[in-house]
Amino acid sequence: MLLRLVLAVLTLIALQAALVALISAVKRRGSVYVTIVIVAFASAPLAVFADRLLFGRPLQPDGRLFLALTHLALGGFLFHFMTLPDRSVTLRILVELLLAPDRALSLSDLTARYGVQTMIGSRLAQLQDGRCLTIAADGALTLLPRGRSFGRAVTKGRRMFRITSAN
Amino acid sequence: MVTGPVIRLLLPVAGVAVFFALSWATVFVFQPRDPKRFFLGYALLLLLATALTYRALWPLDRIEDALGLACDLLLQLLACLTMWNAFYSVLWGFSGSLIYDLFNEPGLCHRDRLIRSYEGDGDLDRILARRLPNLVRGGWVDRHDRTLRLRPKGVVMAVGTLASFKVFSLGMGGGVK
Repeated sequence: MLLRLVLAVLTLIALQAALVALISAVKRRGSVYVTIVIVAFASAPLAVFADRLLFGRPLQPDGRLFLALTHLALGGFLFHFMTLPDRSVTLRILVELLLAPDRALSLSDLTARYGVQTMIGSRLAQLQDGRCLTIAADGALTLLPRGRSFGRAVTKGRRMFRITSAN
Repeated sequence: MVTGPVIRLLLPVAGVAVFFALSWATVFVFQPRDPKRFFLGYALLLLLATALTYRALWPLDRIEDALGLACDLLLQLLACLTMWNAFYSVLWGFSGSLIYDLFNEPGLCHRDRLIRSYEGDGDLDRILARRLPNLVRGGWVDRHDRTLRLRPKGVVMAVGTLASFKVFSLGMGGGVK
């Protein structure tokens, strides 16, 4: 029973990862996170009706509910996993070193490839795309209502956890 | 004994509530240098507690029961991971910090001034100053004067990351689009 369960879980996560990889390869400009959410929800019925294939017999209604929720939870794990290569500054630094000759870089070479200018420029552009702020031609930044709500939430959260310095 | 399927889903809800309370209390009261060790410990202990409680209430007689347990554990772990990730990514992470600075320091509401505040006056900018010591301490990277060299452990991680970039068409990651 345990082996069958583990195989079912691995099959479901592999199916979702393969679908996300395929869609991302075809549709390169979209958000991978939106793709993951769509894939998880759209393929949940497939998972539920694959009960005979996964477990060798049709599941009772409670089992089908658990299977659907398990499938969605696995989509959630894929979502979290994706934030690592997609967002992590630390992992990007490791990749820059991997791609460098002799796997070594001076600090100035590293910052020339992936430095504060690039990072902040890109994050500001993403915050602008997300309608959190506007960037004027002269570089002035103005928070929009969504950005102010975000700022308020981060400020409250940091106060709640007594975080005094970050990043 | 309660046998309805939905009632079984209350176990992860309780687990997550306890996880949040313990994590918040730990960070707020003790201010540990490395909170993730505590988060990991609490998450694992609460998963164990959920598994034991589930088995006591609903013996694993059918595959549906086993699936219910797996579902509970995965949902609980996912919710803990989401809180953990929100703590680091939103409250401590880069975009959250940018928004925090813009919201709380109007003087930084200009691209160049914001960038200068991150570049700082020292040897390392604010971003690298936070991360390089951890990379060196963790054995991922060697640092000699101003040169960084990838260590074998770092090679493995970097190769895995690069593979993810390719498989999921993420460009070069690192939050840069």
